[in-house]
Amino acid sequence: MISNRLRLLLAGVTLCFAGVAHAAGFESPQDGVYADHIDWGMTADMSGPSSGAQNPWGQGFQTAMKVVNARGGVNGRSINVLVEDTRYDATAERVAYEKFVSQTPTLGTSGMGNSSAQTAMIPLIKRAKLPVLGTYTTAKATVEPPTPYFYGGFCGFKEMAQVGVGFFTDHLSLKSPKVALVRLDVASGKEFAGYVEASVTARGGTFKDIPIKVVAADATPQVLEILAMKPDFVAIHGVTTTSILVMKGLAQYGLTAPAFAITYLGTPSVYESLGPDAGKNYSFVSCFSPASSDPKASAAMSAAADQYGQGKLKDDVNFVAGWVIGNMVADAIAKAGAEPTREKLSQMVNAGFTANTGGLSSELKYTPTDHLGLVGLKPLSYDYGTKSFRSYGDYADFTKYLN
Amino acid sequence: MRRILRWSLFAAFLVYLPFVLNSRMVFGYRVGNMALLNLGLAQVDLMLVSIIGAVSLNFLTGCAGLISVGHAAFFALGAMAAAAAGQQLGLPFVATLVAATLAGALAGVVAGLPSLRVRGLYFVLSTMALHFIVVFSFAEYQYAFHDVAGVTMGDATILGYELDSNVKWYFFLLPIVVLVCAMLQSVLRHREGRAMLAMRDHELAAASAGIDVRVLRLKVFAFSSAIASLAGALQAYYLTTVSAEIFTLDNAIHFVAMIIVGGMGSIMGGVAGAVVWLLLPSVLVGTVVEMKMLPGTLTQFLVSHQPQVVNLTFGVLVAVLLIRAPGGLAGLYDDLMRRRRV
Amino acid sequence: MLMQFAASGFLLGSVYGLIALGFAVIYKATRVFNFAQGMLMAVGAYLAVTGSVALHLPVLGTFAFVILSAAVLGALIQTVLIRPLAGRPLLPMVMITIALSIILRASIELIYGGGGRTLNLALPSGSVLIGPVRISAIHVTAAAVSWLCMGLFMAFFRFSKAGLLMRATADSHEAAVLSGVNANRINALAWALGTVLAAIGGLFLGQLQLASVELEAIGLLALPAVVIGGLQSIPGAIIGGLLVGLIEQLASGYISPKARDIFIYVPLLLILLVRPWGLLGERELGRV
Repeated sequence: MISNRLRLLLAGVTLCFAGVAHAAGFESPQDGVYADHIDWGMTADMSGPSSGAQNPWGQGFQTAMKVVNARGGVNGRSINVLVEDTRYDATAERVAYEKFVSQTPTLGTSGMGNSSAQTAMIPLIKRAKLPVLGTYTTAKATVEPPTPYFYGGFCGFKEMAQVGVGFFTDHLSLKSPKVALVRLDVASGKEFAGYVEASVTARGGTFKDIPIKVVAADATPQVLEILAMKPDFVAIHGVTTTSILVMKGLAQYGLTAPAFAITYLGTPSVYESLGPDAGKNYSFVSCFSPASSDPKASAAMSAAADQYGQGKLKDDVNFVAGWVIGNMVADAIAKAGAEPTREKLSQMVNAGFTANTGGLSSELKYTPTDHLGLVGLKPLSYDYGTKSFRSYGDYADFTKYLN
Repeated sequence: MRRILRWSLFAAFLVYLPFVLNSRMVFGYRVGNMALLNLGLAQVDLMLVSIIGAVSLNFLTGCAGLISVGHAAFFALGAMAAAAAGQQLGLPFVATLVAATLAGALAGVVAGLPSLRVRGLYFVLSTMALHFIVVFSFAEYQYAFHDVAGVTMGDATILGYELDSNVKWYFFLLPIVVLVCAMLQSVLRHREGRAMLAMRDHELAAASAGIDVRVLRLKVFAFSSAIASLAGALQAYYLTTVSAEIFTLDNAIHFVAMIIVGGMGSIMGGVAGAVVWLLLPSVLVGTVVEMKMLPGTLTQFLVSHQPQVVNLTFGVLVAVLLIRAPGGLAGLYDDLMRRRRV
Repeated sequence: MLMQFAASGFLLGSVYGLIALGFAVIYKATRVFNFAQGMLMAVGAYLAVTGSVALHLPVLGTFAFVILSAAVLGALIQTVLIRPLAGRPLLPMVMITIALSIILRASIELIYGGGGRTLNLALPSGSVLIGPVRISAIHVTAAAVSWLCMGLFMAFFRFSKAGLLMRATADSHEAAVLSGVNANRINALAWALGTVLAAIGGLFLGQLQLASVELEAIGLLALPAVVIGGLQSIPGAIIGGLLVGLIEQLASGYISPKARDIFIYVPLLLILLVRPWGLLGERELGRV
């Protein structure tokens, strides 16, 4: 019979052993790299407010990895994607990142489509040194100055503004453009407004900032403000319903000024909802090419999408983005060598890494001073007759607007 | 003697837990992810903060009968007060926490004022209106004094010792949680606490028994909001940057769910509810991921729609719990104890 | 400008009124504040998508399909989730409707996938110019249908046998049961009606924008409408809806979209402090 005192003693001894076992130290073994597979993390909003856009991205990413694995993987290892649904919640992003650091260690992670989460996690990323390679959105603070171990995977708002304003000013042969911007009443909206204003005033034009709420049943107030200004063209930042409400409203009032939207709003579902009447003046700027806008470059992607049951998404610019980033990550892992580690991977990318995206995106290049990756964009619109996307040129044609 | 043994084992478990979660080793042996229920230390740290919020809501709602969906707003208020005290007034970490607590108490009195006029559903709605007003104010404050992307909190340093790792935060938060729970338990045991319970159960009778219901209600609200604001400030420091967008009505509703799952009116129930509500999804997700190995189109469909399956399971669990076990986990535990005694 | 805002406010407010009416019906009959009303709106929009796209029904057929499915769903919800909790205090009742909205949302996403679905019913489109005011055909249709429903409902409530029984049960549950009223059936009917009203509102909002779960947030805006008008009052809910629609347009138009929240929630708070039973509601007495 063990007396209670002895039990206490045993408990205490166990505790001491535990302390010793911990003091021996622990290092995450192979950075998520195993003999036959590599673990890679992916976070996206799959059931929250922006899941409509981030879900296709996640599907594109995972489809790319499936194709890579079907071809035999990378240096003899298949890539096992660990998916975490972060519901557009900054705390969930934090938990997921920490999980990939040491709980179910991965070689790196992608996605992280929440700007405030990214900004909040900069110190953590620097400390934990788990590479974030290919994000869904890229917060300004993470790339200005470039955060080590962090590499963006989407075009930035600044470049979207510059190409959009620049292209339409020249396309409409304007001397000093009058531009109205409808944007969400959130942090990224304010940011985008700043960039559009800078581009417009640099050309000697006039700019009007018109905020709208995320949850809006109607855009009449905004449309009336636009009408009052009689702009040369309109810029839109928001969620899919923003575009739909604004464009439909403009069509009702017979305003035919062209409008350009940020990349996220150039999806088939937006154009479908708008219909030819409201959609004919609607364009968007994007660093990724929907399948129908470039059949040659997207042949492999379309085939893969069809094969894995994602055929409907191949024209969705978010899916294309996920696909491109997935392939880029596989490329980077391959380049990191037969014994990749997190450190090696990050050093390799930081030193200068250009991904081969086959024309599906603008140039995707990282340098020691540029962790944004995708800088170029091109404007696109939709042809309701052929039900396909059409671009106004090649990515190279529009680099002149970037500065 | 038995009780002391049980408590010391529990304490030992609590002390060893962060190291296990951090290193994924138990007594030197590496354990798999599911053995640790797919949990990480960051999650546990955030859960500790939520426990503080849940028990303070349980104090307000379960014990005093004031249903509130304003807890996210108090978190926001605490974060805002700590940020303002830290940046604008230059106060150190602990002082900002105190500032946040005081601000919460004040705001609690204000938020409690409608309860002098209305009850029940209308009071819930007034807390909902307050939520939107407070979050709006936070956003304005953030845009005016800080960056559009978020409010960056100062460093969490106590007397030169910086809280910069999950393990350090754990050992800072754990005593706070224990203290808060102990304090609330003791309040409930004493005169004012019992007056509160009387007020919850039958207000008119309590008033006719001489309890100053109006003052008591405001006191309770102030107390509960002070604690919630403290939790909000702690969470803000832990996350290092917070933005107004974080504080959604959904968060407030999650707190209500926690206390219902745990059992209203019981402080330990609040703890249990928070633990289950926050950790169960990870366990479910981990289980679904394990299922990935199994063949079959149904399993594949479930795996590819993993978040929806988890949410659906959660909603159904809460509904079943509400219908079959109204006392929550605490109620189930009490039933179990009662049956054992018989 | 004022005329334009007033017109759009009125039209949008009619749809809010419809949704608020659904809230009010359920609350008046079964004393449950249905936090899932917004999600039921989204369900309505998605049902319309199924009707028009998957079943290829014409416009009226889609409407019938939506109304029937919503009615069945409402009755089902009442039977499975609400009835077992009869007589329970407020908090579990609130929480079960929140659990319901979580379940509905997950189910929608499992069936239809994430992301919104386009809803393009063959409803009148285009717009007309009446003086300085431009009225869009779809808005007018939405408002007209909303008023039709509200009118039908008022008539039902006042003149039909079932409506009378519903009012009786709402006023005094015990007395109604003692008189032989099948309270369960009446409550199921109330939920069916509330769900149908929400579904129709959701159908129109989905047509205006997109059928998506985000429509729930618009439903949440109808909540102040109900309270301002009076939770226990049917006409009050309608008037509350109109008021919210007007305030939203005027505040967004003349000040800024941010002002919308302030101008809706501060009055809500004031009403709760000063006249909690709403503009047209009845004072609730407390019994010892």
